Amino acid sequence: MRKQEFLRALKRKLARLPRQELEERLNFYSEMIDDRIEEDRTEEEAVSDIGTVDEITAQILADKATEREKPKRRLGILEILLLALGSPIWLSLVIAAFSVIFSIYAVLWSIVVSVWSVFASLAACAISGVVAGIIFSFIGNGLSGIVTATAGIVCAGLTVFLFFGCKAATKGIIVLTQKSAAGIKGYFVKKENT
Amino acid sequence: MDIQLKRGLLDICVLAAIKNEDSYGYKIIKDMKPYIEMSESTLYTILKRLELSEMLTVRTSEHGGRLRKYYHITRAGIERIEDFKNEWREVMSIYQFVIKEEE
Repeated sequence: MRKQEFLRALKRKLARLPRQELEERLNFYSEMIDDRIEEDRTEEEAVSDIGTVDEITAQILADKATEREKPKRRLGILEILLLALGSPIWLSLVIAAFSVIFSIYAVLWSIVVSVWSVFASLAACAISGVVAGIIFSFIGNGLSGIVTATAGIVCAGLTVFLFFGCKAATKGIIVLTQKSAAGIKGYFVKKENT
Repeated sequence: MDIQLKRGLLDICVLAAIKNEDSYGYKIIKDMKPYIEMSESTLYTILKRLELSEMLTVRTSEHGGRLRKYYHITRAGIERIEDFKNEWREVMSIYQFVIKEEE
């Protein structure tokens, strides 16, 4: 292929480049070919040294693609401004969301607290019932003493049953808390990745 | 080789090729050939990038009845080569460490 033929073909292929850049590139290849001819190569050899028009076009497109590769994107000024201006809206929404989550936790844990306080009061009844029953028996009121002591023993039995119930409830709430926390966290992390 | 690394190395090579005296496109490619092969299109892109970052300046001179572009290194270009040499001293010592650990 002759030099002029090569340059014309290249010009057609690169027609989409800005005019000045196209002109500069063509001059560059022209100079490269002339320098080769000046050394010792024939015109055809010099042109084929440069490569085919298709190869060059592909190379230029690849170079342009890597040139465009930018480092990891950061928040633009406009985005920061919008975030700042929008903060009265999104900040209050975030606070509201966290308050809802917090109140759900508070309700769940107050169930645990109330169950344990029932347990504690039953245990207190059991002890005081038995003690009071013994005291009543000693000061001569035998029947009342037996009834009170029996009530105390019933309370003690209930206390033992309730202990297992309380333990299971506490464990359940702990698991629920952990799972929902992980769920909320997973939701946010997923959002970030997409 | 990693494309970003190669790109950085080619920049330095081109600067080194014009460091001692002004040079032109074909001569740069010829001088580099024993060390690293580079196509004309790649060289064009690199020269353009170095010109835009003011590492070199371009002048057009007449040569044998036609025009030829000559590239001249700037102060910033020379500093870039020096930075590279310092960076690579570090890289080489890390390399020595990596090789030693593999034995």
